[in-house]
Amino acid sequence: MAKTYDYLFKLLLIGDSGVGKTCVLFRFSEDAFNTTFISTIGIDFKIRTIELDGKKIKLQIWDTAGQERFRTITTAYYRGAMGIMLVYDITNEKSFENIKNWIRNIEENASADVEKMLLGNKCELNEKRQVTKERGEQLAIEYGIKFMETSAKASIHVEEAFFTLARDIKTKMEKKLEASNPPKGGHQLKSYEPQRKPPSWLSRCTLL
Amino acid sequence: MEDDLPTEYDVIVVGTGMTESVVAAAASRIGKRVLHLDSNEYYGGLWASFNFEGLQKWMEDCIHPVKPTEEVSAVARDGETLIKAGNQFSTVSNIEETWYIAEELADSQQATSFSKNNGDEQGEKVGDTDDVKLAESDETEKEKEKENDAEKAEAEDGKPAITEPWSQTKLKKEYRKFNLDLAPKLLFARGSLVELLISSNIARYAEFRSVTRVLTWLDGHLEPVPCSRADVFATRHVTVVEKRMLMKLLTVCMEYEHSSNEFEGFEDKPFSEYLKSKKLTPNLLHYVLYAIAMATDTTPCMEGVARTQRFLNSLGRYGNTPFLWPMYGSGEIPQCFCRLCAVFGGLYHLKRAAEALIVTDGQGSVSACRGIVSDGRRLESHHLVLGVGYAPPQFLQAAPPGGLSRGIFITDRSILLADKESLTLLQFPPVDGSSEPVTVIEVGPSTNACPPGMYVVHMTCKQQTTAREDLKTVVAKLLHTDSITNSADSSAQSPNKKQSEDGEGEEVGDTAKCEPVKPQVLWSLYFNCPETSKCDFTANIPAKVYLCSGPDLDLDFEYAVTEAKAIFSKMYPDSEFLPRAPDPEEILLEGEESAPGPIFEGDCAKAENDGHKTEDGDSDQTKGEEAE
Repeated sequence: MAKTYDYLFKLLLIGDSGVGKTCVLFRFSEDAFNTTFISTIGIDFKIRTIELDGKKIKLQIWDTAGQERFRTITTAYYRGAMGIMLVYDITNEKSFENIKNWIRNIEENASADVEKMLLGNKCELNEKRQVTKERGEQLAIEYGIKFMETSAKASIHVEEAFFTLARDIKTKMEKKLEASNPPKGGHQLKSYEPQRKPPSWLSRCTLL
Repeated sequence: MEDDLPTEYDVIVVGTGMTESVVAAAASRIGKRVLHLDSNEYYGGLWASFNFEGLQKWMEDCIHPVKPTEEVSAVARDGETLIKAGNQFSTVSNIEETWYIAEELADSQQATSFSKNNGDEQGEKVGDTDDVKLAESDETEKEKEKENDAEKAEAEDGKPAITEPWSQTKLKKEYRKFNLDLAPKLLFARGSLVELLISSNIARYAEFRSVTRVLTWLDGHLEPVPCSRADVFATRHVTVVEKRMLMKLLTVCMEYEHSSNEFEGFEDKPFSEYLKSKKLTPNLLHYVLYAIAMATDTTPCMEGVARTQRFLNSLGRYGNTPFLWPMYGSGEIPQCFCRLCAVFGGLYHLKRAAEALIVTDGQGSVSACRGIVSDGRRLESHHLVLGVGYAPPQFLQAAPPGGLSRGIFITDRSILLADKESLTLLQFPPVDGSSEPVTVIEVGPSTNACPPGMYVVHMTCKQQTTAREDLKTVVAKLLHTDSITNSADSSAQSPNKKQSEDGEGEEVGDTAKCEPVKPQVLWSLYFNCPETSKCDFTANIPAKVYLCSGPDLDLDFEYAVTEAKAIFSKMYPDSEFLPRAPDPEEILLEGEESAPGPIFEGDCAKAENDGHKTEDGDSDQTKGEEAE
């Protein structure tokens, strides 16, 4: 079976309960909106393959499975993540203030060079807004990350946000690959070969 | 944080150790309402892995336990009693932390940059070739590897050829790069946990590396144990005649069901006696008894055979040896089960204890548990699963009969240098009067156990006295533990010089020049913790309470998995234990048009893999050689 993509990125959604992480995820992966998610039961991650500069990129986007509620996200959740969407709710001041705590959490547990992006969700509820767009922008500048206001419900900027994050990861990755000279033993290039074979000692083994 | 925990559950699980987490996942998976608590702010209890700072905090907590003082009588109703929960911190003892390096480097040292790992370390290639992901046939890992490789390449290029010696400050600065295990555990490639991870689809949360070599200690040396057919034929350590004997013996052990008379007369005798009767050379006998069967002189024959089988059965599935090691440490494994529990609606709250159990008085009948008191609130459940550390003392017939002696060592090189980073298992046979074998696991940077340029050595044995005392002999044989805090003598970190200076090893002599250089210990930690797998968890315990033991002496997670299965089947005898969790693309959303069922990619992949299983060992070997 031929590989149907060029890159696979693991992305995480992080932020307080109720900011709409799962809705953002479903808007992006299914182009659907459903307000009946009370928590995130049964949702592990969703996949969507996008195309950027002629490359097919498979995005595997993980949800917190409700473990954000009491700050009990497992360290295992962060392993191998290449990008993180930090989500707050523009109608909820507290969720914005907590972004700092989430960033601290990420710094403790995720890989040091993980790409981050800040999303102010529920921007269709302007009349209930507690956090101005400027404050969101300011916070993003403080952390040197990108920022967008989104609405999973009205389908505003969700698409753009994920494309932006994916592009930044891709750019970073390609820069790295370029920087690394052709490897000595030939090991490092082997993963380029589109391959799908039974586990062997020479490749990361995938099994089921 | 607002406390809006619901007050009723099917199952409350207290403690996030291995058994507890597996039970929590299993209950949640079949739709039960699960609340999972842990009094610590981290997952895993005594099964946890920590970064360097986290481990410091853990020690601190062990030495100065937080005493639960809350009075909890108010929530009991008529006919109910409250039983205070236990406190696990009281159970870790003999904690000894030692630094062997200077706090700061002297200026002169920084300037001259003496290399403690000049040459050898640089020459070591990261063993980036044998990662194992038990997940479905997804190329995630390859992508990630691409990424990693790029990182590595960059790191290599940017790294100066000579590294500075480590100082305490420098090591602490890298704290995040450590994953140090309280209970280091391997997985047998065909053991019950690997099968469970795959069949339940929990494997997608974890990543593994295969153990690259099995060593043994023979005649004062570390020696690689030939453990596959290819190894046996490749090894220089055994003669051709021995090779035939070994192959024959291993074949007999593998097929003993079919040749049951082979072991006649040995049923009541030790395995070692059977091996002697086969006229094995001392070398072979040593390999089979200590390294392959991981037995002792007194292990009964049939148990030895079973252990040999277990080893051989797991060969050839993933790598060169029968073992897998979890990336980021053993502490990831319980968390994977917690994640599944959460995905299916399980509720998690750390830093939240159960102060007491609510138990019915049970006049005339058995008393039963109704729930717990947590933060002064009454939380009810049908079943209560309790880590042994939280068990009220009166639940245990007697104090745990034994304990574990643990040693964790951060070193500057591998115990046996190889041309690429190794992941090593060494079952150190009982020597020099010590009666207990010591399990030694050495992990390196590629498992994320430590920063580049270091190794982490884990030692575990049955407790006799204190951890330091119990491990003394093995530590002396494998590691340099002289303090090199004297900053003037910076070259002390050059082990070559060290070797000639100390001369403590009795085997130093005419072989000295080819004697492998022992690693210098930079930091060590010893501690003892109880071994509760032999405890009697049945007497004195109210109905609906299930106790889970802590880490056991065994190499793998087998005991915890078995225990979890038993607890689950007591709670829900008619339900399936961790059926396969669907993949995200198989979950159909409410209101979605029903489409034809998704193809179960996993099953195809499995069949594909099964078909190639037997070839893996051989092909691996070939490729391994090519890679050299």
